[in-house]
Amino acid sequence: MSFDVPDDLSYLESHEWTTTDDDTVTIGITDFAQDELGDVVFVELPAVGDAVDAGSAFGVIESIKAVSDLYAPVSGEVTAVNEALFDQPELVNSDPFGEGWMLEVEPSEDEFDDLLSAEAYRDQIA
Amino acid sequence: MTQTDGSPFAPHTPAETAAMLEAVGVDAEADLFDIPDEVAFDGEFGIEPRSEQEIRGELRRLFARNDNLIEFMGRGHYSHYVPSIVDHLSDRAEFLTSYTQYQPEITQGFLQALFEYQSMLVELTGLPVANCSMYDAATALAEAALLADRVRQTSGHRIFVPEHLREGKRLVLENYVDGAGLVVESYPMDDGNVDHEALAELTDEETAMIYAENPTVRGTIEEGLSEVGEIADDNEALFCLGSDLVALSLLEKPATVGADVVVGEADVLGLPTSYGMGLGIFATRESFLRQVPGRLVGVSEDADDRRAYTLTLQTREQHIRKERATSNICTNQAWVALRAAMHIAALGPDGLVDLATDCVRNAAALAKRVDEIEGYQAPVHDRHHFREFVVHTDQPAAAITADVEAEGYAIHAIDDHLLQVCLTETNAHATDGLVDAFQEAA
Repeated sequence: MSFDVPDDLSYLESHEWTTTDDDTVTIGITDFAQDELGDVVFVELPAVGDAVDAGSAFGVIESIKAVSDLYAPVSGEVTAVNEALFDQPELVNSDPFGEGWMLEVEPSEDEFDDLLSAEAYRDQIA
Repeated sequence: MTQTDGSPFAPHTPAETAAMLEAVGVDAEADLFDIPDEVAFDGEFGIEPRSEQEIRGELRRLFARNDNLIEFMGRGHYSHYVPSIVDHLSDRAEFLTSYTQYQPEITQGFLQALFEYQSMLVELTGLPVANCSMYDAATALAEAALLADRVRQTSGHRIFVPEHLREGKRLVLENYVDGAGLVVESYPMDDGNVDHEALAELTDEETAMIYAENPTVRGTIEEGLSEVGEIADDNEALFCLGSDLVALSLLEKPATVGADVVVGEADVLGLPTSYGMGLGIFATRESFLRQVPGRLVGVSEDADDRRAYTLTLQTREQHIRKERATSNICTNQAWVALRAAMHIAALGPDGLVDLATDCVRNAAALAKRVDEIEGYQAPVHDRHHFREFVVHTDQPAAAITADVEAEGYAIHAIDDHLLQVCLTETNAHATDGLVDAFQEAA
């Protein structure tokens, strides 16, 4: 089975994706991750204004068979949270790179955690 | 497979044991264990074998040596009459199991009973979520503190409890929350109840939780608990309220005074006061659903669209979430919760409220009679009371308890000159005798 891995995004080994080209970055989990988790039933996210730390857990995602931490690719302040996920966590399954986005973060430093290119991430999940 | 010649439920005959030892290449069972000599017991237990009849006879003689006192003791453990239907139903073999109701396909009856227990707690507290029990009130309180530490709504590490909190409960709380870096502190009481001004003064944004009890450990009924809820809100702290099943049916509903978590003893119903067994209440807001410790029973539908009960939201629990579970509790007091639910059902809503109403009226009436005796003032606190009240004695309290005990009654001495007396329907028949004993002792 092949999974969607958009070329214009960067990835973490822990299966989060992030944009890198704007002042604020958008973060979510990958198509592969949602498929591994199965039906997502709950997403716990920080509040707008909270700080996130690169490499630390910022939230929790729960599916019918597992619970996983969500890791931040960069340190910064949360500027937006996808509140639609509180009522419709299944958006993470149906559209992980679109309507299933999770956070917008304004990075406090330029340093991202070790990011993978789309190609490298494809190799990881192959 | 080895042919079994024993019970199919305990396939462990000498022949099977020998076959298993041979299969793993070990000579004797003892070789499977590595127990240091210095801790291994190598003596005789000194127990003489006797027949069942002889043992029963000896135990009867032993029990007869106990003092047969009529207890007027409360302070956390309360005796209410348990209707015989509770024994009769709960002793059914279907319910007498130590096995957790993990398999909904074979435990619908028990799961439904636990769901009913949760539903009763929801009704009594006004909070939408209740688990199907904790060990006791003390561990439920400690779990509430850990929940306050976990949720995003709070940020502090200070846990405030009443200065009159029972020592045992406080020790359990401190032991539980130490690892989470929480600090337990007391706030003062004003004539038995929460001193609102002092509490507001003490608390700050470092406060994670404020705990209050209704009724208090001295039997007083709190007034203005919503003020405590407001103080908690002002400090972005959680308000945890401690109570019990009977009191909850009559006193201010926790949800209406802003309680975020309700804990307490459910063992006031369904159980005798013996053996120190407890049953912890835990109810909370829906927004904390995924932070609840312990087991939850949910209602769903099976493949044929029939109503079906099952343990739910287990991703909070240790067997799935390991070290990040919401709690170390990996069990509940299922059978005890079952008995409490049966007791409530036997009383019915009106019966439960009548019982609670008697707890207020009878305590007030007894306090008045004690107050009329020269040398006593009761109740010490100028409050309404539930089940119990504090008595001031001009004589040393220890002398009074000794004299009263000689007459066949047990009461608490809580200070040099303070006594505490607890009254329920199980000792109500003996109030005349107790009043006479007080009179004699004065």
